Amino acid sequence: MKRFALIVSVFSLLACFSVAPLWAAENVKIGAAFALSGSIAVYGEGFKKCVDLAVEEINAKGGINGKKIEIVYEDNKSNPKDCVSAVRKLITVDKVPVLFGPAGSSNFMAAAPVAQESKVVMLSAQGTAEKLTQAGPFIFRIIPSNSKQGQRLAKLAFELGYRQLPVMYINNDWGLDLKDGFVTSFKKMGGVVTDIIPFDEKKTDYRTELLRANKDNPKAIVNLTYINEGAVQFKQAFEMGVKTQWLCGSAARAPKMVELAGKAAEGVMGTYPSVIQDTKEYKTFKAAYQKKYGDDKIPIFGDYNYDMVYLTTRAIEKGGYTAEGIRAALPAAAKGYKGVTGDKTFDENRGMEHADIGIWIVKGGKIEDHKK
Amino acid sequence: MDSLPYYLQTVVNGILAGCIYALFAMGLTLIYGVLNFVNFAHGELIMWGAYFLYLAMAEPFALPLYAAVPLALGMTALLGAAMDFALFKPLRKANRLTLLIAAIGLSFFLRNAAQLFWGAQVRTYGFEIRQGYRWLGVSLTPQQLAIIAISLICICGVYLLFFKSRMGKSMRALADNLDLARISGIHTGKVILSAWIISSLLAGVGGILMALDTNLNPEMGVVNLIKAFAATLIGGVGNLWGALIGGLIIGLAENIAVLFISPGYKDAVAFVIMVIILLARPYVVTDKRTD
Repeated sequence: MKRFALIVSVFSLLACFSVAPLWAAENVKIGAAFALSGSIAVYGEGFKKCVDLAVEEINAKGGINGKKIEIVYEDNKSNPKDCVSAVRKLITVDKVPVLFGPAGSSNFMAAAPVAQESKVVMLSAQGTAEKLTQAGPFIFRIIPSNSKQGQRLAKLAFELGYRQLPVMYINNDWGLDLKDGFVTSFKKMGGVVTDIIPFDEKKTDYRTELLRANKDNPKAIVNLTYINEGAVQFKQAFEMGVKTQWLCGSAARAPKMVELAGKAAEGVMGTYPSVIQDTKEYKTFKAAYQKKYGDDKIPIFGDYNYDMVYLTTRAIEKGGYTAEGIRAALPAAAKGYKGVTGDKTFDENRGMEHADIGIWIVKGGKIEDHKK
Repeated sequence: MDSLPYYLQTVVNGILAGCIYALFAMGLTLIYGVLNFVNFAHGELIMWGAYFLYLAMAEPFALPLYAAVPLALGMTALLGAAMDFALFKPLRKANRLTLLIAAIGLSFFLRNAAQLFWGAQVRTYGFEIRQGYRWLGVSLTPQQLAIIAISLICICGVYLLFFKSRMGKSMRALADNLDLARISGIHTGKVILSAWIISSLLAGVGGILMALDTNLNPEMGVVNLIKAFAATLIGGVGNLWGALIGGLIIGLAENIAVLFISPGYKDAVAFVIMVIILLARPYVVTDKRTD
């Protein structure tokens, strides 16, 4: 009986798969290994909404050369292991030549080699880790990497007139990425990094690290820190009488940090990746989203997901519906393309050439955008 | 470079860190001495001590500091006693591995309980931050002065209790031989309870001082307990003075090291010292006590 049930289920499964291409033959299928359950499912839902919106718009305008786009969603369950399975399923069963990869840099990087080996194009709309696309030429990202922020921070330091400063950074992938980005650009501009001070997460005492950073009373200190660590550091620096301009990254840009550090956080500045929202493209997107879903709260990274669909569509139109065609056409399709999230031109690492990075500053206990 | 204040400040920072480690290590070593097992849940006593004060000072109680501190310490002592009553007392005759695992389990339980109650986010007592006093180019805040002073008071108190009082004598007797102490007429239950209370009070004081100086989060205990372990091992497990000296050695060594090597290796310094001491004095981890 059990055996019979097994045979029946196997056959019915086979039937499903063999039937699918018959009615889907007219559609252009794109895979999406999204987090639809698990710890980051709340993000996945938002991405899906924005992808669906873009697909609906493109299909309403006639699709790709008359063919409708169809997204094949596969749940990646928010963990690296199931991300690999989901990507593998999309490639081997659904046979998509292009797919949208999982969110979360570590999830994406777990699945990227699978796509690369199968020679299927995989794109990320959320991964900011520096090494995200290193699996090979089939892996792309349409969101600026961490080092872009580091470069902008170096520019900010120069704009503010700081030529010599020490760098403190949190000893993890994020901190390291940003530190490397900053130091490389700062040195290229002719700046001098006087000291490099990594520090561990979750500590309660950073006094001696701060003492070392402040050794020659620098006018500014770059501190690539998190919320809690930043709060402790600014507090302890204030108590020690350190007088300097703090320059941070995006991870410290949180009301919680200001709440914890109180007046010690006053004047702290930093960079963060931002999407310029008063462009024509963004406004159109926002209006369309509101019309479809009834609220104007764009999900985090939703705008990038929306752009990802349009970029992929352009690449398919240009290069044809094959993995190799899409891979070869993507850079040209994206060059100079103005999406909702800005200029989408790829750099040599298949990441973003341009990045809109905003500057934040703590003023009167609030985090504000810094206006020059 | 104005070198003297620079190094002086580092030494002061080292002493501050060392005082906190020593307070933790003394409580840890006390329980080890009397009950012969490492209480891995000591870090949670530290953390709960700090959170009890937060509880007493927040709405709806909103007690002033001087009233809230004794209350918080009392609750920490109660928690320590309850820990023993609920978990370690039934396991008094169990082997050390069982006790070790029970303590680790308890540690997770208490930490997650705090997270459930207060959430994982960082909290602060909300005192206004002030610039430290400057003296010889060294800056010290009132909280930091309090850390040093209160640590000294605690150390003296523990010394008097341990070596000058009847209770201390009983504790030392118990530490030497539980059964012998019992047939000599020592009320072991009472002595063990006192050891838990003192250990919890030391943890509570350390936790509160640390939280006053920095912030509160559910992991504040565990992170610093590892250093306290190292301090205990350096000083010889079960040895009160050793715990104090071990704490100061680690505090000073890791802070001074930060000036010369990459601070990313700050934690490694404590453990390198620990390994060297263990290699040079292998008997400290055996049952032989060093005092």
